[in-house]
Amino acid sequence: MFNAATIWQVVVNGASLSAIYVLVALGFTLLFGIMRVVNFAHGAFAMLGGYALYYFWGRFGVPYVIAVPLAAAFVALVALIAEGLVFRWFYQRMFESMIALLGLNLALVYSAVMIWDVSERSIPPAFSGLIEVGGLLLPKDRLMVICIAVVVLVSFWVFMTRTRQGLAMRATAQDLEIAETQGINTSVTYRIAFLIAIFMTALAGALYAQIYSLSPFMGDRPLMVAFVVVILGGMGSIPGAALGGVILGFTESFLATFYGASVSSFVSFGVVIALLIVRPWGLLGTPDGARA
Amino acid sequence: MTLVMRIAGACLVVLAAALPFIDKDGFGVTVGTIIALNMIGATSLHLIIRTGHVSLAHAGFMGIGGYVATLTLMRLGWPFPLNLLAGAIAPACLSLLIGPLLLRLQGKYFVLVTFMLGEILRLAFLQWSSLTGGANGIFGVPAPGPMFSSQAGFYWLALGSSLLCIAIVARMLTGNMGRIIDSVRDSERLAQCAGIPVLQVKVAAFVLATGLVGIQGGLTAHYLQYIDPGAFTSVQSLSFVVMNVIGGMRSLFGPIIGATFMTILPELLRGYVEMQHVIFGLILIAVMAAMPGGVVDAVNRARQFLSRRTRGGNLDSNLPRVVARQ
Repeated sequence: MFNAATIWQVVVNGASLSAIYVLVALGFTLLFGIMRVVNFAHGAFAMLGGYALYYFWGRFGVPYVIAVPLAAAFVALVALIAEGLVFRWFYQRMFESMIALLGLNLALVYSAVMIWDVSERSIPPAFSGLIEVGGLLLPKDRLMVICIAVVVLVSFWVFMTRTRQGLAMRATAQDLEIAETQGINTSVTYRIAFLIAIFMTALAGALYAQIYSLSPFMGDRPLMVAFVVVILGGMGSIPGAALGGVILGFTESFLATFYGASVSSFVSFGVVIALLIVRPWGLLGTPDGARA
Repeated sequence: MTLVMRIAGACLVVLAAALPFIDKDGFGVTVGTIIALNMIGATSLHLIIRTGHVSLAHAGFMGIGGYVATLTLMRLGWPFPLNLLAGAIAPACLSLLIGPLLLRLQGKYFVLVTFMLGEILRLAFLQWSSLTGGANGIFGVPAPGPMFSSQAGFYWLALGSSLLCIAIVARMLTGNMGRIIDSVRDSERLAQCAGIPVLQVKVAAFVLATGLVGIQGGLTAHYLQYIDPGAFTSVQSLSFVVMNVIGGMRSLFGPIIGATFMTILPELLRGYVEMQHVIFGLILIAVMAAMPGGVVDAVNRARQFLSRRTRGGNLDSNLPRVVARQ
């Protein structure tokens, strides 16, 4: 059971799952950390990303490397309408946002059912077969997922730490009023943060839909993942989301390979509940009271 | 509660009880039964919400009640009221065990944990197929005795249970106990300083509420003669929350109005199942954006506004107008 081939399979699957999970969770944690909005409609945006890729790559035949970011950017731009109509009312209103965005999730998912019906579709794979790296056989499509995610995550990191707009975003997350007195246009900052968050979510959804399957209800799983990862890492903490995504991705890949998918769900939920009770602010978060 | 409201309430109860005589074709009775059943879930969740916690595991607890009531009846052969009682005690016991842990959590963390707890319970119903029948569920749950096998008979049973549940919750929310619960929600630290055992109060409300919703689970299984995990998903939990939100979370009338509305609306939109969900979603967004206090709060505000108008307005409501004119 524990031979080298299986271990490699677990590692590569774990890495590609982690990549997707980190993307999903970063979007979620960004919306929470900056706007104080608990985005229960997160899965729906991931689902839309899947459909966008289905059209751009599967139907229109845009080259894959362009189709993936294009699909995500398209969803993010369309989502700006949702930002103006829905999200804007609920910034800094955590409880109301949960209920209202659950409503948005319901509306988006069932609109998708009306447009595309409930049947599962599949996005044609961009790459098939294996590639040999140093005597190891690795599946190409999984490697592609990892590459795309790494590129996006690195550019996100550069944006947050090396640009003025990223600095403004971090300032807004720390203290809204003081950021405003320093001349930061917070509504523009909010909109940029929203765009980035939905972009990453839609991207993750597109990659996820290509690996598994595409249906209006596929968003449930990414939503649960976002919850689990963000709670693991600490709500609103960006390094926490990265750490949590990696932990969850590898654990799930390991448990699902050796013990089955339902065991892995039970274990991950159980661990998170236990962690929440002992340390509700997560591994890298800060307790509510301690925030200065 | 004023005298007028009491009389109105009594009239409504009498009217509800007389429904099977008024409505001959039985459709109204069917809807009435579902409303009565949903009121159990909505009002019991209301009790938890009033302590300051929104639980998204309520349908999971309802499922435990449903399966325990079904299995004790069908496998162990327990008679009718006893199996329903078991269906109430089982979720209450579970929440007595985990409640003290969960209820230490604040606001959003509690919501997230209960959301996941609900998922775990649903997975358990789905995976433990030797007991629960897995995704296929259990068919042929018998009617609870000859007295309640007719449609009208079961309607009265559901209505009676629902009224009993509302009465229990109302008793908890009024008088000294009600003030204790309000203080726990509004200011936990202050309540603690006043010598209120905050955690015990919360756990008591949680245990009572999950026990009551277990009864809804058992009754629903009897009513549909069928039980499956699909009825106990997070969507159902959410729908209990929505009933409270739409009606209003600050008053017991809220979940009663909400449960009625949320049961009748799908019946009106029966031909358009997808559209119905979309409309639900939009209503939720609109309610949270415009009137987060729900229908009850909106009515109260409208009444205050009107009474100020009819009384010719007191000084402070006239003040802005006077100032503006100058």
